[in-house]
Amino acid sequence: MDLEDDTTVLTTLKSFNSFISHNEPPQRLSEHSVGSGNLQSQYKRSMELLEAAERLHSKNRYLQLDQEKKQMELSHKRARFELEKAASDSARDLEHEFGRNQDLIGQIKKLEERETGAAKNLTEQTEANRALRKNLESLNKKLEERDMRLNTSNQHISSLRDEIRELKQKIQNQDSTISTQTLENQELQEQLDLQRRKYQEVSQLCQSLQAAQSSCSEHIIKIKELERRLALQEQDIAIVKTVKAEVAKVPDLEKELKRLREDNAFLRESRENCSLLKEEVEGLRRKLERMAKTKEELVNMELEKERFAEKLKAWENLGQSTGLNIRKPEDLSREVIQIQQREFALKEQNYTLNSRVRSVERSQSELRAELTQQRGKTLEEQKKRETQDALVRRLQKRVLLLTKERDGMRAILESYDSELAPTEYSPQLSKRLREAEDVLQKTQNHNAEMEAQLSKAQEETGALKLQLQTVELELESLKKQQASAADSSSLVTKEEVNILRQKIEDLETERQRLEEQNNILEMRLERHNLQGDYDPVKTRVLHLKMNPTTVAKQQRQQEVEALREEVTHLRELLRSVQDGTALAHSQDDSSMHTSGLGLSLPPSKEVLDLRKQMESSELRNQRLKEVFQRKIQEFRTVCYVLTGYQIDITTENQYRLTSVYSEHMDDSLLFKKGASGSMQLMETEFSKTLGEMVALHLHHQKSIPAFLSAVTLDLFSRQTTV
Amino acid sequence: MTSTLKGITLKGSAELVAEFFSFGINSILYQRGIYPPETFSRVTHYDMSLQLSTDPKLKNYLTNVVSQLKEWLFECTVQKLVLVITCLETNEVLERWQFDIECDKSAKENSTPREKSIKTIQDEIRSVIRQITATVTFLPLLETPCAFDLLVYTDKDLAVPEKWEESGPQIIDQSEEVRLRSFTTSIHKVNSMVAYKRTDSV
Repeated sequence: MDLEDDTTVLTTLKSFNSFISHNEPPQRLSEHSVGSGNLQSQYKRSMELLEAAERLHSKNRYLQLDQEKKQMELSHKRARFELEKAASDSARDLEHEFGRNQDLIGQIKKLEERETGAAKNLTEQTEANRALRKNLESLNKKLEERDMRLNTSNQHISSLRDEIRELKQKIQNQDSTISTQTLENQELQEQLDLQRRKYQEVSQLCQSLQAAQSSCSEHIIKIKELERRLALQEQDIAIVKTVKAEVAKVPDLEKELKRLREDNAFLRESRENCSLLKEEVEGLRRKLERMAKTKEELVNMELEKERFAEKLKAWENLGQSTGLNIRKPEDLSREVIQIQQREFALKEQNYTLNSRVRSVERSQSELRAELTQQRGKTLEEQKKRETQDALVRRLQKRVLLLTKERDGMRAILESYDSELAPTEYSPQLSKRLREAEDVLQKTQNHNAEMEAQLSKAQEETGALKLQLQTVELELESLKKQQASAADSSSLVTKEEVNILRQKIEDLETERQRLEEQNNILEMRLERHNLQGDYDPVKTRVLHLKMNPTTVAKQQRQQEVEALREEVTHLRELLRSVQDGTALAHSQDDSSMHTSGLGLSLPPSKEVLDLRKQMESSELRNQRLKEVFQRKIQEFRTVCYVLTGYQIDITTENQYRLTSVYSEHMDDSLLFKKGASGSMQLMETEFSKTLGEMVALHLHHQKSIPAFLSAVTLDLFSRQTTV
Repeated sequence: MTSTLKGITLKGSAELVAEFFSFGINSILYQRGIYPPETFSRVTHYDMSLQLSTDPKLKNYLTNVVSQLKEWLFECTVQKLVLVITCLETNEVLERWQFDIECDKSAKENSTPREKSIKTIQDEIRSVIRQITATVTFLPLLETPCAFDLLVYTDKDLAVPEKWEESGPQIIDQSEEVRLRSFTTSIHKVNSMVAYKRTDSV
């Protein structure tokens, strides 16, 4: 079925392709022939083609889907089939299983029956076990008791045996120890004997050692003394060396001295020359200065001359300029005198005028004062007049009042008199009269007082007015003075102000300077205070007399003095030593020694002892030498006499033998000592004559004494016969 | 301490200052090596460890000076105490330790004790002595053997006691001065300073 679908697809595709290709050529052909009219047809055709393609496509899809569906169905069938198979298989298995199950169940039942039987057996057997166990236990207990008894008895036996063994061992040990101890005892005794012998020997050795030690200590003491003396000698040697070094420097110093003296002489000569030259130079310098001064003076003089010439010209011109008859200075002087005289005259006039002016001013001022006084006086008088007028008026008023009062009183009296005539009222009337009179008097007094007060007040006011006016006059005069003097004094005040300002500035600068000085001084004071300065007027410095510095200084001084003394002492020693050694080289007299060194101090005794020892050792040496020489001489002579040969050592390892019986003085045999120590004969003239004996005794017999004895015999025989 | 817990009297202040001087002088002698350090023993005072000399001659000298100084402090007639260190070889003054004493004379008439705690005074003294110890770092080395002397600047009208004599101020020429701390007991004020010879001029 699939193939069929595929083939249908392929066939449809082919048909579609053929359709498209078929359609194209006619379209192309038709394009050229027909223009726009064909486009629409083409378009339609294309649309139709597209629809066809779509249809084909859908068909394809449909076919594909069909295919897929079929495939799915197939797979479904297959799966169903398989499932059915599996189901049948499983059913069969089930049946099998079921059968088996039943079998197993039957088996199980059988086994259960067996089990029950077995359990019954078990229980029976367990019961039997228990009974047996109980029996066992009882038996075991009995056994244990027996065992324990046995064990205890065994232990006892073993312990007893151990004890026996131990005792035996002890006995053995003790025996062995006894034996060893006896042996040791013997050994120790032997050792003791040895030790005693050793002790004796050692004691002997000790004694010898002590003797040796004493001798050793004595030797050591001697050695130390000798070493000390050696050290002192070495010090002396060192001192001698330094002195020698210093002495060695002396020729150099002398040379230098000579050189310096020559330099000195040369320098003195040159100094004299120098001084002469300096004097010349100074003289020349002074001359130079004077010349310079004269030059300056010349220049100044020329300048002055010019100035004077100008002045002269000016003066000469003056005469022409002023128009006066001036040709000589005398005329000038005359003119000047005249002018001066005129001046004097004018000054006199001036002075006189000034004096007049002043007097006039004074009189003016006096007159002004008088004027003011007069004005004051006039004012006073005016015032007085006014007061007088006022008094007059008051008096007139009083008079009027009095007259009026009199009239009134008269009237009253007349009335009273008229009234009194009919009746007698005199006492009352008199009383009233008296009272009225009293009242009158009182009022009159009051009046008078008031008038007096008034007048005083008026006088006072008048005086005050006078004062006012005088003061006003003075003020006016002062104002006038001020106005006149204002112009002249304004300048004076300005100058005063300027002067004062300058003074202020000067004072301020001085103040600052003083402040700075003050600061500097304070700093200095502080510094001095830090350094320890003090004001001797107020303070005093004290310290203890016995203070550590003085003590230290004293100690130092003492040390220095002691050192100096030591140095002088050592120098004297040195000198004495040098003298002593010089003497020792020249003479060996001990008396000279003592006389020479008798002045020296105790330490030189050591030197003396050393010297004595030295001499004694030298003497000993000499004596030993003499003794050795004598002995050697004796031995040689004896050898010569006994052996007949005189043996001389010519050079190292060469021995010359001359026989007693030699015919000539030069006949000698030379023997040389070889490296191995053997003697060898050397060729000499004499040995040449003894060739036979040499061959016989030396070469054959190899014996030098035989040869020598043969030689002596031969010579002896020759001598005696000849 | 003889001064009471309530305050400082003139006598107590004099004792405090004299005690400070004795310890201070010992410290200076130890630090500058005037005496060998093995002759000094360590003691504790002012809450710090100080060195005190065991040399009997030195101790005797110091007790003499300090006791006389205590009297003068009580009378308020002493102005300065100076420790002068001289080189024995050249007899030059190398160092000068100067202590200025300012006494409040009103304490003589008015005998009421002043309010100042001893602890603060001790703290101040301790800082002064510590500073003295620290000055060793910049003072020049004293290589030559030296000896010291104590000078006292007093009022002129004072009677010179027996065993004391007048001396010069022993000023160093070309010296450098350094001002150190001061302490006060509210009656006596002590300013310290040290002057030493400039080393480039030596």
